[in-house]
Amino acid sequence: MTAVTPDRIPAKTKHRRSIKDGGVKPIGRPIWLLSPGVLWLLLFGLAPLAFMLMMSFWTSTIFGTKPDFSFDNYARVLVTELYRDQLFKTLRIAFMTTAMTVVISYPVAYLLSRLHGMQKALFVLMMFLPFWTSYVIRAFVWLPILGRNGAINNALQALGIIDTPIDWLLFNEGAVFLGLVYVYTLFMTLPIYLSLEKIDPALVEAATDLGARPASVFRRVILPLSWPGVLSGCIMVFLLSISAFVTPQLLGGPSGIMYGNVIASQFLANNNWAFGSALSITLVAIVVLLLLVSSRWIGLQHVFTGGRNS
Amino acid sequence: MVSITAGQENIAKRSARKPARSHRPYSGYRTALWIYAGAFYTFLYGPLLMIVLLSFNNSEIVGFPFQGFTTRWYDVVFASPALLKALGNSVGVGILAAAIATTLALSLAMGFRHQFRGKSIVLYLILVPIIIPGIIGGIVLLIFFGFSGVRSSLWTTVLVAHVNWVLPFAFLTLFPRLHGFDRALEEAAMDLGARPWEIFTRIVFPIIRPGVIATALFSFSLSFDEFIRTIFVSGFDRTIPVQFWGLIVDELAPELPAMAVLIIVISIFSSLVGFYFMWRASRSAATYARKAS
Repeated sequence: MTAVTPDRIPAKTKHRRSIKDGGVKPIGRPIWLLSPGVLWLLLFGLAPLAFMLMMSFWTSTIFGTKPDFSFDNYARVLVTELYRDQLFKTLRIAFMTTAMTVVISYPVAYLLSRLHGMQKALFVLMMFLPFWTSYVIRAFVWLPILGRNGAINNALQALGIIDTPIDWLLFNEGAVFLGLVYVYTLFMTLPIYLSLEKIDPALVEAATDLGARPASVFRRVILPLSWPGVLSGCIMVFLLSISAFVTPQLLGGPSGIMYGNVIASQFLANNNWAFGSALSITLVAIVVLLLLVSSRWIGLQHVFTGGRNS
Repeated sequence: MVSITAGQENIAKRSARKPARSHRPYSGYRTALWIYAGAFYTFLYGPLLMIVLLSFNNSEIVGFPFQGFTTRWYDVVFASPALLKALGNSVGVGILAAAIATTLALSLAMGFRHQFRGKSIVLYLILVPIIIPGIIGGIVLLIFFGFSGVRSSLWTTVLVAHVNWVLPFAFLTLFPRLHGFDRALEEAAMDLGARPWEIFTRIVFPIIRPGVIATALFSFSLSFDEFIRTIFVSGFDRTIPVQFWGLIVDELAPELPAMAVLIIVISIFSSLVGFYFMWRASRSAATYARKAS
């Protein structure tokens, strides 16, 4: 410890006791604390996005991508049946995935919120662990399950139910749906769990004491109070699903590809950056629109912290 | 328009927890719930355990039947120069990205303790990288750096992509730590004439240190597993997930399950250590709160 000499005290404290709320101002100047992060995000977060927006009005030819101001790319996105159908199909798959994850996650989240002590700690930890496992791996694992030499075919053959491996388990929309549900379920379970966890047990008790049946306690107390978590999970899963690339690429085959794969191919295969940008900006616009609509019920930062507002 | 509250009150409220009381009047529901939970965890872990099993399968194809136990795929993994290179790349970029993102996030979170104009706009800005779909997050950097003449490589484009991705999470993890803690010590130090930098290094940082370490470890884990942004900007430098992807798409190589197990072990290990520090952080926050009251 450095010795604090008494004569330093008045000089240092004088100008700090000036805040409205009577507290002491936190240390540091906001401008200096914020600028490194803000500059990074402006330069590498916002500027590239603005550049993409600009490029979506350019034109790409085999000679490269040239500045222009044309709406042709967007017209092509909306008018071409192929792209429009891909977009609708992707929205449909994302919607189905979201609905499915709510249904399978809610009961588990509810059970977790009712547990106590070590049992709870263990099950919650087990919920987190696969979260921290690469989604590339979690999509990949379905290949040796659903494939020709996969676990299911092998089991069915061993049981004598089929003679030759069945091919239709993999490389279709159903496999993509299953993969997406598997990869993204936890993004639903955790926020629901967090919001259930927050419910004051006294409310449930009060309802019970006042004669409410279990079903109506659930419907009228627990369900409404867990709504922020459900909403947060739905937004996360929907956003992740409409921009999926890995899962449909691995499990989808030609019939199961999604909008993300269409976008990626413009950059990885066709080199049509201007058109790819228009496809991308369309996706970003859908995402932003969705967040704007949902912001009526949930603040943006709460979506990513598990719906903790209420 | 989107309404954003500062979010501080909500986050602070969480720390005030009520003692848990048990409700167990409906045991029939409970049994059904347990059976269901068993099925759910099987769905979650079954495929992952199957990959562990397959990593020891003495067979040239990734699949069944199980042809006998072998550890040779692990030998293949550890003997492959491309793979070790990718592993080194991932660890290196993970450490650097975690360090940069955690530092920037800590600074931002310190700034967010103040009241300032445009706070919600800055918050939006911080959230931009996680609002934007991952695939777009990679593509924007591809075209942005492509047109600025920066060649895609590990320490340029990949690092930027990873810091972008990790920064919002680092901020969201650190922010409640800095808001949750009692400022009495800080104020006392101020009254005793400590300079801001001294207050930070000797009071604030020691209190939040477990939280900072946890954030850095989670950030590392996020960066280590990052794929969708990296694939667009990795150029000739491959990270582990990119290498893994290449092996799936090109040939469904037999060492894939062993490699998957290796990746899972590394990222789960760093997350578990992160969890431990997070738990310590919440415990020390509780201790300070108790001492203060």
